[in-house]
Amino acid sequence: MRELRIAAVADIHLGEDLRGHYRKKIEGIERRADVLLVGGDLTRHGTIPEAQVVAEELSGLPIPVVAVLGNHDYHSDCDQEIIDLLRDAGIVVLDDEGTVVPIDGVRLGVAGGKGFGGGFAGKCASEFGEPETKAFVRHTKEIAERWRRALKELDADHKIVLSHYSPVKDTLMGEPPEIYPFLGSYMLAEAADAEGADLFIHGHAHAGTEKGVTPGGIRVRNVALPVIKHAYTVYCLNGDHC
Amino acid sequence: METPHYVAARVQRALAEDDRTTELGIRVDVRGEEVYLRGQVSCDERRHQIENVAREAAPGLRVHNEITLVEVREPGEEEHL
Repeated sequence: MRELRIAAVADIHLGEDLRGHYRKKIEGIERRADVLLVGGDLTRHGTIPEAQVVAEELSGLPIPVVAVLGNHDYHSDCDQEIIDLLRDAGIVVLDDEGTVVPIDGVRLGVAGGKGFGGGFAGKCASEFGEPETKAFVRHTKEIAERWRRALKELDADHKIVLSHYSPVKDTLMGEPPEIYPFLGSYMLAEAADAEGADLFIHGHAHAGTEKGVTPGGIRVRNVALPVIKHAYTVYCLNGDHC
Repeated sequence: METPHYVAARVQRALAEDDRTTELGIRVDVRGEEVYLRGQVSCDERRHQIENVAREAAPGLRVHNEITLVEVREPGEEEHL
């Protein structure tokens, strides 16, 4: 089976002040990668004008682009409009669902969405007490359940989970431990481990580190722009050479 | 003098919640009358806006802008998984 070259980045935080800058950096991406995955925080404030900049920067590339939103993209309560706008521009936006990208006869399955927080096993919030606390934890639990279903239903040769929030602590190293519950949740890893995946891509933790692994052995990569410091990173699946 | 701990918390919240900045990843340290801002942003304009918002949230204190710009490099080596 042909190797797949997965380009990934997150936290590009585009706005009017960066119009045209990111696009320049990804010109020629088709020579390096078969698909571009973008792990959320596409904008700064989640406004429509910012989303238009995102659409301009990411649309019309010679390779498919699959994206999820991040917490910043929800800030102006326009998340659904942003999703519609990006989809109209030809970008596949996952909102707790899966998609199959055919690449030269190889089916790449990508499932995911924004994700959410709650913390990690042993030091996490529980669905107990005040309604606000229960709602916080329930949000992540419901997302994880939808991802589990989406992964199960994917009929693909390779599967990748694309998220904004982190599934593990490994890739948060460098962030203050006190804020880990706001950076991710073990429930996201649990969903991926239950159904299996080749790779888990996320962003959100700007001060974190790139590489980690879920308890079930799925490789995790934090591709937040300030972490990878490149326009994108390329991961090759199924083979020694791309 | 206001407790530095609360000044730092107020500045950090302002940087996150003010529409001019919405920056969650800036570290704010207050030592006496000095405020230190550290972190990374994508352009000089954002760097200056952060300083402006921090000054407004900590009037009378001296703000040191130690924020650096993220240099987005061309893609490097790929990783084989």
